[in-house]
Amino acid sequence: MRLFAKYNRVNVISTVIIFLIGCAAFSVLLRYVIISQIDEDLKIEKNEIETYVHHFNHLPNIIEVHDQYTTYKPVNAPGKNDNKIFTHKVYVSTGNHSELQRTIAFDINTGSTWYFVTVSKSLAGTDALIKTILAITISLILLILVVSFLINRIVLKKLWRPFYSSLQTVQKFELSSKQAINFNKTNIDEFTDLNSILSDSLNKAQQDYQSLKEFTENASHELQTPLAVIQSKLDILIQNEKLSEAESQSIQSAYHALQNLSKLNQSLLLLAKIENKQFSEQTTVDIKQLLENKINQFSDLWKSRNIKLQQDIHDRKITGNFYLTEILINNLLSNATKHNINNGCIKLLLNNELVISNTGAAHSLDQKQLFKRFYTQNNSSVSHGLGLSIVEQICNVSGFTCTYNFETPNIHTFKIGW
Amino acid sequence: MKILVIEDEKELSKSICQYLSNEQFITETAYDFNSAFEKVSLYDYACIILDITLPHGSGLDILKELKKNNKADGVIIISAKNSLDDKIIGLNAGADDYLTKPFHLPELGARVAAIIRRKSFDGKNVIEFDELHIDLNKKQATVKDVELDLTKKEYELLIYFISNKNKVISKSAIAEHLWGDDMDVATSYDFIYTHIKNLRKKLLQQGAPDYIRSVYGMGYKFSLPK
Repeated sequence: MRLFAKYNRVNVISTVIIFLIGCAAFSVLLRYVIISQIDEDLKIEKNEIETYVHHFNHLPNIIEVHDQYTTYKPVNAPGKNDNKIFTHKVYVSTGNHSELQRTIAFDINTGSTWYFVTVSKSLAGTDALIKTILAITISLILLILVVSFLINRIVLKKLWRPFYSSLQTVQKFELSSKQAINFNKTNIDEFTDLNSILSDSLNKAQQDYQSLKEFTENASHELQTPLAVIQSKLDILIQNEKLSEAESQSIQSAYHALQNLSKLNQSLLLLAKIENKQFSEQTTVDIKQLLENKINQFSDLWKSRNIKLQQDIHDRKITGNFYLTEILINNLLSNATKHNINNGCIKLLLNNELVISNTGAAHSLDQKQLFKRFYTQNNSSVSHGLGLSIVEQICNVSGFTCTYNFETPNIHTFKIGW
Repeated sequence: MKILVIEDEKELSKSICQYLSNEQFITETAYDFNSAFEKVSLYDYACIILDITLPHGSGLDILKELKKNNKADGVIIISAKNSLDDKIIGLNAGADDYLTKPFHLPELGARVAAIIRRKSFDGKNVIEFDELHIDLNKKQATVKDVELDLTKKEYELLIYFISNKNKVISKSAIAEHLWGDDMDVATSYDFIYTHIKNLRKKLLQQGAPDYIRSVYGMGYKFSLPK
């Protein structure tokens, strides 16, 4: 829920509740005041009648006054009706309807006779007054509500605009870009603070990222150069043809270990680069062509191990990073080759997805461990255990899916969905 | 012909010089930016092997200086940075080739030979070795004027061998040259044996001497038989 909406909801609900309570209190109060006023009037009438009786010893004539009714009724003895004021509903014959009246009832002695006197005032006018006042009040309240709702909406929207603009800026921000983040200026302190904190931390992150990248590259440089020295020394060493067989075997082992080491270093660097999203360039990649090139490259290797290739390759173009896609396919094919058996078979299927299956060990690989770094089956030195991690990373950053499946007796299948 | 090796790692520089020096090439070295800059401006080289990260400066600036002065020296960048961007920057700045560390010396040898061929025989591009004659433009190898019927891999192998003649080349160097270094399947190099065997057979069939010799199962050497 948007902040506006939430704020407006709370605001409107509380305003309505307060106004309703206010209205009710107001109408009760108003009624109370008016009735008190009427009661005062009734008491004055009573006083006037009493004063008149006191002077003249008989009751005054009843004068027809609008909305006021006076009655005299002779009684034998005074009742207990002194100064009793009450409201009651009366049927008015003239208006042919019933209405509420406020009445004061009392007994009076004219010297000879006791009279029971009532003076009533109609409340119809009062009701109408209260209704009118309430109507005016309620419409004013509604007006205020609508206006404040609109003002809140407009003002809030305007006030929060810098926030949304900052949000957009942050959303567009890329860690790998070298451009520092820039927020639109705002004159609201909170947002200025927010922007400065955001830009500080994002620029810091960017700097950290850059230095991490530099570190990765430096690490690569630092490792690659000694590797190059070792490699070159071995290349020089074998120029000496007077080496004994034992010596040349040692050199071969060194060559082999060196190669593994440089492959490992390259793979680690590649993983770091993929994680740092340094391969962001997207193009259309012709998977069919890529796959055919790779098949060409691997064919000698397959021939030497008598591995048969079955292929069913259809046109498929995807959008992705060419370099990464090439590595993806290369690693899967390497994998299918490395872990294959002599006289085995590799099956390639390309239509909507790429399916690479190969014959291999007669048991399934551990699904959970499969893509983990340095996971190797039975610790073979054939593989450094990064190939499939790289595959997984590439799938992650490119939005591909990769699944593994085992079929008895010995078919391992990797499926890439674009 | 002179080759300049600009590389701050002295041991690597030494290996490169040792490998490349022969009756045809004299190698010189520079270990830092300033001495390299001086040598490059004073002398002409057939080929310059250039490291990008140097003490006191960047190899790219040396490259730019060369291009500014219209020097014809061929340049191979050897860099520890295996990043596509750097490669593109290097090649755009006018380098002829780009090699990532670590590399096999025969690979460097082959590339140096290729650059020198391109620079010295402007377009003619022919390799002669003993009775062998290779026309690189036509991609044609002949022995005593008879054309050899070579596969693509065998032809590439032959050129690689001649570029590194009289040197022992390890199997892994050959595999990397012919199949690329991303083919991570380094368990056995049996698969290169077939190609070498076939090339050797075809050369012998045309009456060429047996140039290719296996050395202790470590690698091969291409040379005139003693």
